[in-house]
Amino acid sequence: MRRELQLVREPLDEDSLRRGWIPSAGSGAVLQFLGIVRGREGDGAIEALEYEAFEPMAEHQFQKLFDGVEMRWPTVEAVRLVHRLGVVSVGEASLWVEVVSPHRAEAFAACQWLIDAMKQVVPIWKRALPAPER
Amino acid sequence: MTVSVRYWSWFKDLAGLEREVFELDPGLALGDLLAQVRGRHPKFEQVRKSTLVAVGLEYQGAEHRLQDGDEVSLFPPVQGG
Repeated sequence: MRRELQLVREPLDEDSLRRGWIPSAGSGAVLQFLGIVRGREGDGAIEALEYEAFEPMAEHQFQKLFDGVEMRWPTVEAVRLVHRLGVVSVGEASLWVEVVSPHRAEAFAACQWLIDAMKQVVPIWKRALPAPER
Repeated sequence: MTVSVRYWSWFKDLAGLEREVFELDPGLALGDLLAQVRGRHPKFEQVRKSTLVAVGLEYQGAEHRLQDGDEVSLFPPVQGG
Protein backbone atom coordinates (compact mmCIF):
# COMPACT_ATOMS: atom_id res chain seq x y z
CA MET A 1 0.00 0.00 0.00
CA ARG A 2 1.35 3.43 -0.88
CA ARG A 3 1.27 5.82 2.02
CA GLU A 4 1.91 9.52 2.35
CA LEU A 5 1.80 11.59 5.51
CA GLN A 6 2.31 15.32 5.93
CA LEU A 7 2.02 17.48 9.02
CA VAL A 8 2.02 21.00 7.63
CA ARG A 9 1.86 24.56 8.94
CA GLU A 10 0.70 26.24 5.75
CA PRO A 11 -2.85 26.15 4.30
CA LEU A 12 -3.72 22.99 2.41
CA ASP A 13 -3.61 23.30 -1.37
CA GLU A 14 -6.93 21.59 -1.89
CA ASP A 15 -6.89 21.77 -5.70
CA SER A 16 -3.47 20.19 -5.86
CA LEU A 17 -4.45 17.50 -3.38
CA ARG A 18 -7.67 16.79 -5.24
CA ARG A 19 -5.80 16.15 -8.48
CA GLY A 20 -2.85 14.40 -6.87
CA TRP A 21 -4.04 10.84 -6.61
CA ILE A 22 -2.20 8.20 -8.60
CA PRO A 23 -4.50 5.67 -10.28
CA SER A 24 -3.67 2.09 -11.09
CA ALA A 25 -5.43 -0.34 -13.40
CA GLY A 26 -7.21 -1.76 -10.36
CA SER A 27 -8.42 1.55 -8.91
CA GLY A 28 -12.19 1.82 -8.73
CA ALA A 29 -12.70 4.20 -5.82
CA VAL A 30 -10.92 7.38 -4.75
CA LEU A 31 -12.38 8.69 -1.51
CA GLN A 32 -11.25 12.17 -0.48
CA PHE A 33 -12.27 13.62 2.88
CA LEU A 34 -11.76 17.22 3.90
CA GLY A 35 -12.21 18.28 7.51
CA ILE A 36 -12.71 21.99 8.11
CA VAL A 37 -12.74 24.15 11.23
CA ARG A 38 -16.26 24.92 12.48
CA GLY A 39 -17.20 28.38 13.66
CA ARG A 40 -18.33 27.13 17.04
CA GLU A 41 -16.55 25.07 19.66
CA GLY A 42 -18.65 24.05 22.62
CA ASP A 43 -20.94 26.96 23.48
CA GLY A 44 -18.96 29.77 21.92
CA ALA A 45 -18.06 31.29 18.58
CA ILE A 46 -14.41 30.87 17.66
CA GLU A 47 -12.04 32.53 15.25
CA ALA A 48 -9.65 29.63 14.79
CA LEU A 49 -8.23 26.46 16.25
CA GLU A 50 -4.58 26.19 17.16
CA TYR A 51 -3.21 22.68 16.66
CA GLU A 52 -0.19 21.38 18.55
CA ALA A 53 1.47 18.02 17.95
CA PHE A 54 4.16 15.87 19.46
CA GLU A 55 5.37 15.46 15.91
CA PRO A 56 7.76 12.47 16.06
CA MET A 57 5.21 10.44 18.02
CA ALA A 58 2.34 11.62 15.80
CA GLU A 59 4.22 10.48 12.71
CA HIS A 60 5.04 7.15 14.34
CA GLN A 61 1.45 6.57 15.44
CA PHE A 62 0.11 7.51 11.99
CA GLN A 63 2.43 4.95 10.41
CA LYS A 64 1.09 2.31 12.81
CA LEU A 65 -2.45 3.26 11.79
CA PHE A 66 -1.49 2.93 8.12
CA ASP A 67 -0.22 -0.56 9.02
CA GLY A 68 -3.65 -1.15 10.55
CA VAL A 69 -5.40 -0.10 7.35
CA GLU A 70 -3.15 -2.40 5.33
CA MET A 71 -3.89 -5.33 7.62
CA ARG A 72 -7.67 -4.77 7.81
CA TRP A 73 -8.26 -3.89 4.15
CA PRO A 74 -5.48 -5.54 2.11
CA THR A 75 -6.98 -4.33 -1.17
CA VAL A 76 -6.53 -0.65 -0.30
CA GLU A 77 -3.92 0.68 -2.73
CA ALA A 78 -3.01 4.01 -1.20
CA VAL A 79 -3.61 6.29 1.77
CA ARG A 80 -2.67 9.95 1.83
CA LEU A 81 -3.17 12.05 4.95
CA VAL A 82 -2.35 15.71 5.53
CA HIS A 83 -2.95 17.40 8.90
CA ARG A 84 -2.54 21.11 9.57
CA LEU A 85 -0.68 22.33 12.64
CA GLY A 86 -0.57 25.81 14.11
CA VAL A 87 -3.42 28.30 13.75
CA VAL A 88 -6.21 27.23 11.36
CA SER A 89 -8.98 29.78 10.80
CA VAL A 90 -12.67 28.95 10.73
CA GLY A 91 -13.60 27.58 7.33
CA GLU A 92 -10.08 26.43 6.52
CA ALA A 93 -9.20 22.77 6.10
CA SER A 94 -7.43 21.08 8.98
CA LEU A 95 -7.41 17.52 7.63
CA TRP A 96 -7.22 15.80 4.27
CA VAL A 97 -7.58 12.03 3.97
CA GLU A 98 -7.55 10.11 0.71
CA VAL A 99 -8.06 6.37 0.28
CA VAL A 100 -7.71 4.64 -3.08
CA SER A 101 -9.06 1.12 -3.51
CA PRO A 102 -10.68 -1.17 -6.07
CA HIS A 103 -14.17 -0.76 -4.57
CA ARG A 104 -15.94 1.91 -2.52
CA ALA A 105 -16.82 -0.24 0.50
CA GLU A 106 -13.26 -0.68 1.74
CA ALA A 107 -12.41 2.95 0.94
CA PHE A 108 -15.27 4.26 3.11
CA ALA A 109 -14.55 1.76 5.89
CA ALA A 110 -10.80 2.42 5.92
CA CYS A 111 -11.24 6.20 5.91
CA GLN A 112 -13.75 6.11 8.76
CA TRP A 113 -11.56 3.75 10.79
CA LEU A 114 -8.42 5.78 10.19
CA ILE A 115 -9.98 9.07 11.34
CA ASP A 116 -11.65 7.46 14.37
CA ALA A 117 -8.37 5.78 15.37
CA MET A 118 -6.43 9.02 14.83
CA LYS A 119 -8.69 10.72 17.36
CA GLN A 120 -7.77 8.03 19.89
CA VAL A 121 -4.01 7.71 19.59
CA VAL A 122 -2.27 10.39 17.52
CA PRO A 123 -0.87 13.09 19.84
CA ILE A 124 -2.38 16.20 18.31
CA TRP A 125 -4.35 18.71 20.39
CA LYS A 126 -6.36 21.78 19.57
CA ARG A 127 -7.05 25.00 21.42
CA ALA A 128 -9.96 27.23 20.48
CA LEU A 129 -9.15 30.88 19.83
CA PRO A 130 -12.38 32.75 20.69
CA ALA A 131 -13.93 35.16 18.22
CA PRO A 132 -13.65 38.81 19.31
CA GLU A 133 -16.79 40.06 21.02
CA ARG A 134 -18.87 42.42 18.90
CA MET B 1 18.81 6.91 36.84
CA THR B 2 17.70 10.06 35.09
CA VAL B 3 14.36 10.28 33.30
CA SER B 4 13.02 13.40 31.62
CA VAL B 5 9.33 14.20 31.62
CA ARG B 6 7.74 16.33 28.96
CA TYR B 7 4.27 17.84 29.27
CA TRP B 8 2.05 18.57 26.28
CA SER B 9 -0.98 20.73 25.53
CA TRP B 10 -2.68 22.13 28.65
CA PHE B 11 -0.72 19.74 30.86
CA LYS B 12 2.10 22.31 30.48
CA ASP B 13 -0.13 24.73 32.40
CA LEU B 14 -0.87 22.12 35.07
CA ALA B 15 2.83 21.50 35.61
CA GLY B 16 3.85 25.12 35.09
CA LEU B 17 6.64 24.00 32.77
CA GLU B 18 7.26 22.00 29.60
CA ARG B 19 9.98 19.64 30.72
CA GLU B 20 11.74 18.52 33.85
CA VAL B 21 14.07 15.81 35.06
CA PHE B 22 13.51 13.18 37.73
CA GLU B 23 16.26 11.23 39.47
CA LEU B 24 14.86 7.76 40.15
CA ASP B 25 16.10 4.58 41.75
CA PRO B 26 17.05 2.02 39.10
CA GLY B 27 14.32 -0.42 38.11
CA LEU B 28 11.38 1.78 38.96
CA ALA B 29 8.24 1.50 36.85
CA LEU B 30 6.29 4.18 35.05
CA GLY B 31 3.61 4.09 37.76
CA ASP B 32 6.26 5.03 40.35
CA LEU B 33 7.30 8.02 38.25
CA LEU B 34 3.69 9.14 37.86
CA ALA B 35 3.29 9.05 41.63
CA GLN B 36 6.32 11.34 41.91
CA VAL B 37 4.88 13.65 39.27
CA ARG B 38 1.65 13.89 41.29
CA GLY B 39 3.75 14.57 44.37
CA ARG B 40 5.47 17.52 42.69
CA HIS B 41 2.35 18.72 40.90
CA PRO B 42 -0.78 17.85 42.91
CA LYS B 43 -3.07 19.14 40.11
CA PHE B 44 -2.26 15.96 38.18
CA GLU B 45 -4.32 14.01 40.71
CA GLN B 46 -7.46 15.54 39.14
CA VAL B 47 -6.57 14.24 35.67
CA ARG B 48 -5.26 10.87 36.78
CA LYS B 49 -7.81 8.85 34.79
CA SER B 50 -7.52 10.88 31.60
CA THR B 51 -3.73 11.16 31.48
CA LEU B 52 -2.06 9.49 28.50
CA VAL B 53 1.54 8.39 28.94
CA ALA B 54 4.21 7.55 26.40
CA VAL B 55 7.81 6.48 26.75
CA GLY B 56 9.67 7.59 23.67
CA LEU B 57 7.12 7.29 20.87
CA GLU B 58 5.02 4.44 22.32
CA TYR B 59 2.17 4.39 24.80
CA GLN B 60 3.03 2.45 27.94
CA GLY B 61 1.23 1.30 31.06
CA ALA B 62 2.07 1.74 34.74
CA GLU B 63 4.01 -1.54 34.90
CA HIS B 64 6.50 -0.52 32.21
CA ARG B 65 10.05 -0.56 33.58
CA LEU B 66 11.92 2.67 33.01
CA GLN B 67 15.51 2.92 31.88
CA ASP B 68 18.14 5.58 32.34
CA GLY B 69 17.71 8.31 29.74
CA ASP B 70 14.06 7.57 28.96
CA GLU B 71 11.90 10.47 27.85
CA VAL B 72 8.36 10.23 29.22
CA SER B 73 5.53 12.29 27.78
CA LEU B 74 2.34 13.13 29.65
CA PHE B 75 -0.63 14.55 27.83
CA PRO B 76 -4.41 14.89 27.86
CA PRO B 77 -6.73 13.01 25.48
CA VAL B 78 -5.80 13.69 21.88
CA GLN B 79 -7.98 15.82 19.57
CA GLY B 80 -6.70 15.60 16.02
CA GLY B 81 -8.88 16.24 13.02
